[in-house]
This record gives sequence, structure tokens and C-alpha cells, in this order.
Amino acid sequence: MEVSLAVPPDAVFIVLTVITLLAAILALQAKELIYGAIALGVSFIGIAGFFILLDAPYLAMLQIAIYVGAVVVLILFTIMLVRRDVGEEVVERGERGESAAGLWIAGLLAVAIAGVAALAGPNLASSPPPGVLSVSDLGPVLVTEYPVPLIILALLLSAALLGALMLAKVER
Amino acid sequence: MVNLPNTPADIVPFIISIITSHTFITLVIFPGMIHLMIVSAFLTWYERKLLARIQLRIGPLYAGGIGGILQPVADGVKLIFKEVIVPYKADRTLFTWIPLVLIFLGTLPFAVIPFGAHWVIANLDVGLVFVFATTSLFPSMIIIFAWASNSKYPFIGGLRSLFQQVAYEIPMWISALSVVILAGSVNLVDIVKAQSKIWFIVPAFLSFIVFFICIMAELERLPFDLPEAEPELVAGWYTEASGAIFMALFLALYLKLYMMSALTTVLFLGGWWGPGFLPQPVWTILKAMVVATAIIIPRGIYPRIRVDMLIRIGWTRLLLIALANVFITVLVVNSGLLTAWGL
Amino acid sequence: MALNPWVVIVIWALLILLLTGPLLTLPYLMTFPKRKEDPFRDMPFESGQVPQGEARHRLAMQYYPYVLMFVVFDVVGMFLFAWGISFRAISASASFVVLLFLILLGAPLGFALRLALRRENW
Repeated sequence: MEVSLAVPPDAVFIVLTVITLLAAILALQAKELIYGAIALGVSFIGIAGFFILLDAPYLAMLQIAIYVGAVVVLILFTIMLVRRDVGEEVVERGERGESAAGLWIAGLLAVAIAGVAALAGPNLASSPPPGVLSVSDLGPVLVTEYPVPLIILALLLSAALLGALMLAKVER
Repeated sequence: MVNLPNTPADIVPFIISIITSHTFITLVIFPGMIHLMIVSAFLTWYERKLLARIQLRIGPLYAGGIGGILQPVADGVKLIFKEVIVPYKADRTLFTWIPLVLIFLGTLPFAVIPFGAHWVIANLDVGLVFVFATTSLFPSMIIIFAWASNSKYPFIGGLRSLFQQVAYEIPMWISALSVVILAGSVNLVDIVKAQSKIWFIVPAFLSFIVFFICIMAELERLPFDLPEAEPELVAGWYTEASGAIFMALFLALYLKLYMMSALTTVLFLGGWWGPGFLPQPVWTILKAMVVATAIIIPRGIYPRIRVDMLIRIGWTRLLLIALANVFITVLVVNSGLLTAWGL
Repeated sequence: MALNPWVVIVIWALLILLLTGPLLTLPYLMTFPKRKEDPFRDMPFESGQVPQGEARHRLAMQYYPYVLMFVVFDVVGMFLFAWGISFRAISASASFVVLLFLILLGAPLGFALRLALRRENW
């Protein structure tokens, strides 16, 4: 990656991490559900940025088009299904035990991940493996080496579609 | 690589080297910001003049002397100084910032649309998918803006707009898939280069028709005008927008029009290919203007499509025609008919 | 300067924000300071009549199939693009998987469309 501006890739990574995490936290904590949905969309865009950093641009575009384009719309639609007055608080403030438990679990996860990384030692790659999979290589691999997952994906999507429609049909 | 300035005497050559670098020229001048702003402003004037002539009127006449050519500037100045009224108990933050996001989304795809063999801001390998990913963000922004307005007309208009754009986005993608199959790449520069012998409108004619119809639905142009149905919904999802916010939305809509026209040109009409007496970017802009004219003219001619017909057409007829054309393209490519055209 | 195209896109994005940001924020800042919410000036526009009732009314569940179909077909479209890029590079028989993929999804699509279009939603 030829970058003539003096920005090290790590800086981009840190900025993306901060944005994604803040957006994800905001998505959970926002009082207005619509703000939470928007923050979720921003965190998805952050994840797409990570995909770009990992040399997977097609996956990044897929992420944006599907997650931010369709799933966020679905979430917004679901939010608007719930009738509430303007300014009414939907999220109930729990006791302080909730945030303590959350911090505890996050600490355990951090220790676990650090332990695994320390155990892997010098084998841990610090950059994506060499050999870029270009976009035109993605299609043949998908069709020739992974036809079974493709069919399973079709069945999964069909099941999701039919299941959700059944639920929607019952509720008039 | 660039030589960063070491001494103060180096700064001026450094700045000059940046300004004359190809990246800077494409970013800022052509096909960058200045060209975009000028052309979108021109498109507003062009639309009003064209519709006026269709409707046996004259259109803008006074601003700027000849034919009201400075009318967009006059509109812009007027709208900047108008009062921005945020509806009672509306969501002020979203109401103010969503139009900016819409301008952003309308301008961002221009980074990958090529206006000439070297006149592209960023030659992405996933260019077409990048354009589709950014245009898929429009429906969610519109519904959020409509929700933020806290008013009935925008809300209904926003819902209709959401379902309309969502219904016509999939046939748009599938019809572009035919082009991708023919060209063998989603890189927009490669797609145009593959059309050197024949424009893709010929092998993929049905796809072109479907794509064109879907573009008109995405842009909310008549006959798909329902989210903005004036006798019913005043102005649809942007009823409550006033002043600078309306100007931003207006700009975003015309940027989107230009972007969709340029995309059609690149995908179906051969991009920059044309006889050599005009430079390549001029051909692209000319063809984009032809497409924009074809999008604007129905506004003065056709009646509005009813909402259930609209949704039905999008999900059934257009989707099936687009899929059928993908099959046709597959068959044609397999049969080897296209080798005569270098495809 | 040969820049990574993604870097150029980031620069382009920043350029857009830089040029259009003041366009919107300046008028807003000009009007921001002295405005309180006035129920009569800020009344939502309904051609003169006073709005009654909830503006953000509850959506109907009948519109759900459309959004869901969009999600499913978004995914399908992206996978079809991946296939379409390389279609001419692979043998024709390898593409039968994609045909099967589409046929498998065709039945739920038909059912979803029947469900969505049968009743008078619109």
C-alpha cells in the first residue's frame, strides 16, 4: 500500500476502533431508539472499514449494502412498529449492578484474549497474510469450492424468510 | 512519492507540485467538487427550462441576463437567508444533520465514476458495488428524516419513499448484473473499456430498460412521484424542510440525478467512447446529459403511478424481467455470439 | 503521487464534508441563538388546519414482508455479483449451483409476494 501521506496504518486502525466501539456503546445506551439504530449503522460502517484495512473491499461493500442498507432499515421499521409518545423513555435504567457485571465480563474477556495472544507468541501475525485475493477470484472460489455452503445459504435464507412471514401472518 | 518540504523555501514548489498533480486535479476540479457543483446547479436550471418548454412556458428568464442562467445561484442565496423552522417537538439534531449526510451520500459515488480513461478520482476494484452500497443508504436516511420531522405528511411520504426505493433497488442491481457478466468486472473503468466496440445497451437492452425505470423510481421522479405527491402530501418527506435545509436536500437530489445519469452512461452507453473529435470527458458528460433529459422529460408528460401498482411493478414485473435478462445474457455469452464485438 | 484508491476516497469524503458542512451549519448557527420553541410558529404544516393526533403513528405489520424481502434479496444480489464477475472465467456447468441457488429461493419469494400482494395493504 503506497501511502505518500505520513499516516501509519495503525493510526487508522485505532481511529476505526474508537469509532466502532463508541457507536456500539451508544447503540446500547441511547435513550431514543432511533439514535441507537443510527449508532448501530455507524458501528457497521466502522466494521466495513476494518474489512477494507484487511484487504477485503468486496466484503466491506457487502457489509455496508446489507447491514447498513437493509438490516438497519429493518431495525428502524421494527422501532416504528412500537407506538410511543415523543420523549417517552423506553430504556429503563437498571441498578448499578448491571454496569459492574458488564465491566467484570469485559475484564475477563480481555484477560482471556491477552492470554491466548501471549500463548500464541511469535506465531501471531501482525498484518494480514500476503497474497491478495482480488475480487475476480472471489467468484470462482465461491462457486467451485463452496457450492454446498451456497446451497445451505439459500436454504437458510428461505427458512428465515418463511419463518418471519409466518410470524407476520399470525399477527394481524 | 512526494518530497516533503524540508526548508521553508521548499514549500511553494511543494504546493505547486500538489496542485498540479493528477490526484488533486481530479479531486477538486474535474470530475471533482467544482465540476459537480457547477453541473448540479446547471441541472436545476436545465430541468426548469426543459419542463417549461414542454409545458409551453418560458421558465427562468431574468436572473443573470440570458435565459435566467444564474437562477440556481439566486435560489441558493435566497434559501440561505430563509428562516429554518424546525417543527414543534421535532428532533432538531437529526433534522439538521441528515441533509448533510444525504449530500455526502450523493457525492461520494462520484469518486469511482470514470469520466475518461484517466479521469477518475479513485479507480476502485469494486467500483460498481461501492456505488450500490452508498445508494442503498438513501432509504434509511430518508425515513429517519421523515420520522424526525414529527409531522404526518412527511411521515407518510417517508414511508412511501422507503418502500418505493426498497422495491426498485433490487431490480436495479440485477439489471446491472447483466452488465457485470458481460464485462467480467465490477471495476467501472474496466466496464467502460469493455464497451470499446459496442455499447452494452445492445446486448443487454432489456436490462437497460429495467435499469432506467428503476433509476427513475430511485430518484423519485415522475411517474414515480408518489412520495412527493403534491396534491396529496404537499411535498412528501421534506415538507418541513425550509431554508438551508431545503437547499441541502435540493442539492442532494440533483447530485443524485447527475450521479445516476453518469452511472447509466458508464454502464450502458459506453462511457467515454465516441468519435475522436471531442475529448473523452465531453462525451461522458454529453451522454449523461442525454440520460438526464430522458429522466426529466417524463415529469412533464406522465401521470403518477398509484402506490399499489408501483410496489407491484417493482417486486414482480421488473424483478422477473431483470432476472430473465440475466439468463438471456448467460445464454448469449455461452453461445459465443459476442466474440464479434470483442466481448 | 500514487495513492491507494481508498485513501483518495477518504480524502474525497473529507473534502465533501469540508465544503458542504459550512453550507448547512452557518445558516443554522445564524438562527440558533434566539429561538425558543413556539408551538404556533413551529406547528407542522397541514395546509392550515391544526394537527391532531400522533404524527408518528404506528406502522402496520402488513408492510413487514417487503422489508424482509429486501433484506433477503440484498444478500442474494451481493452473492450474484460475486458470481457474475467471474462468470466468463469459469466453466458453464459450474454456474449451475447459482441456478439452483436462485430456484431454491424462488419458492419463498413467490410465497412472500403472494402474501404481500394479496391483501389490500396499500
